[in-house]
Amino acid sequence: MSENFKPVTLNFGPQHPAAHGVLRLLVQLEGEVVNKAEPHIGLLHRGTEKLIEQKTYTQAIPYFDRLDYVSPMCQEHAFALAVENLLNIEAPKRAQYIRVMFAEVTRILNHLLNIPAFAMDIGAATPMLWAFEEREKMLEFHEAVSGARFHAAYFRPGGVHQDLPENLLEKMKNYFSNFPKFIDTLEELLTENRIFKQRSVDIGILKKDDAIRLSCSGPVLRASGVAWDLRKSQPYDVYSDIDFDIPVGKTGDTYDRYLVRMEEMRESVKIILQCIDNIPQGPVMVENNKITPPKRSEMKNSMEAIIHHFKLFTEGYRVPEGITYKSVEAPKGEFGVVLVADGSSKPYRCKLRAPGFVHLQALHFLSKGHQLADLPSILGSLDIVFGEVDR
Amino acid sequence: MSPNILQKYSTGSFHFPIKAGIDNILVNKDSILDVTQKIKEDEDLLYDQLIDITVTDNMLSKSSYAQERFTLIYSFLSLKFNKRLFIFANISEDNLNINSITQIFESADWFERECYDLFGINFINHPNLQRIMNDYTFQGHPLRKDFPLTGYEEVRYDENIKKVVYEPVTLKQEFRDFDNESPWEGMKETIKEELGK
Repeated sequence: MSENFKPVTLNFGPQHPAAHGVLRLLVQLEGEVVNKAEPHIGLLHRGTEKLIEQKTYTQAIPYFDRLDYVSPMCQEHAFALAVENLLNIEAPKRAQYIRVMFAEVTRILNHLLNIPAFAMDIGAATPMLWAFEEREKMLEFHEAVSGARFHAAYFRPGGVHQDLPENLLEKMKNYFSNFPKFIDTLEELLTENRIFKQRSVDIGILKKDDAIRLSCSGPVLRASGVAWDLRKSQPYDVYSDIDFDIPVGKTGDTYDRYLVRMEEMRESVKIILQCIDNIPQGPVMVENNKITPPKRSEMKNSMEAIIHHFKLFTEGYRVPEGITYKSVEAPKGEFGVVLVADGSSKPYRCKLRAPGFVHLQALHFLSKGHQLADLPSILGSLDIVFGEVDR
Repeated sequence: MSPNILQKYSTGSFHFPIKAGIDNILVNKDSILDVTQKIKEDEDLLYDQLIDITVTDNMLSKSSYAQERFTLIYSFLSLKFNKRLFIFANISEDNLNINSITQIFESADWFERECYDLFGINFINHPNLQRIMNDYTFQGHPLRKDFPLTGYEEVRYDENIKKVVYEPVTLKQEFRDFDNESPWEGMKETIKEELGK
């Protein structure tokens, strides 16, 4: 590089379409080469952890939808598991199947946003339109069970809020049996696309050791060749009864991360179809009115049901003293909840371990020495959503 | 397997009410660098991934482990043995210093910055100990139990002076903090206390 070049510091964001939200990046450039990329985060900090300390356990659930707002149900899952662990209860089998099924629907939803957004960052506009049409169809399933497209508040400690509506399983089976065809068409657009490959192959290489050293998890870790998936290694709910594979990458570049996500969607479809076939009948919530609210119909006739209802929605249920950590394989990586309970009806401390927070930290390492134009490609492949990074 | 190996690093007894079957040790805060180095390199442990660093403020806690104002919680994962480990370290209010473990686990950087920002824990030898979640000029440490939920300052854009201004928080409505705890079970505690006297 010529000696006349002075390093330039560029302020990227916080409002930039390729910043995937409110990311402020201070990029130090030498010519067009990135010397240093320093993310400044916190522009979407809402103090979720502080707010959760002020709410009862039931009231805390909606905050989890608003963390990583493209994969809401997976985060509720972690919280539900943590509270269940402290209460020493287990959700009924049917509820566990429903949860696994919808966690996978959420995973597909997440990847269907990330993949086209990543593709759009590096020049392909069509996948976005196609994927959003499919997302809309899948959000109808979200809406059918919870009444909300995004902020579901569906997974509760002790099970799920409501049983599945009639015919939903049939509709889902119909839809998801045909869904792999859509993945094929999406792959036709991208996987062998010359421009797409030119801009993603060998960009942002994360070697196996580096991925472990930088605490990466989820698809980012797997794309680097580490066969690690919490659904397999530390299975929760009914994942241990379900047959699926873990796609693993080879080189750990942005292209591999894309491929891993693509394969993960196929595996998710497999899981959903197995759940639909094997789901048992039965209750969807622990049948203990000290934790779960009574049915509306019961409240018309039973004084005790009314008392339970009143107590649960004013005071909430008490959770015995203890500390726990439960994590789930969220679409972006390991999402965990450190929950400290002090015996009252509010969490004493609730720390949320977000995968995006850790991955964004690796951005500097990944982008160093690359050109500025590769930065959006790397950022897109890390799957950053600011709701969970800033919390 | 682990308790025996881990025991030699521990400086306290295993009295943390931790569920989910996670191994845990309490270490003296001066030996945190030493211990993290060892658990990373020990052939029988190989905790190669740092999952999380967090803090609880024990100001309002009545738990037996809450001997000092803050408890730092380090969370590690061994990919090889598929095991998790929690390391606890107590930090008193008078001395908020603890050694940074960034030289051993690089990813500790942002976690430690977060603990500094939200709790005011001072990590010695941290490469860049700045606020991460809050505003650059923010005062105080919001996740401490003595920090009010509504905060002290609010921010708005002033159309007249064309600038963002900081003002003390004014609540349009009184802050609603309901005490819904059942008086009956609460009574038991007061009765117990009175009997105790």
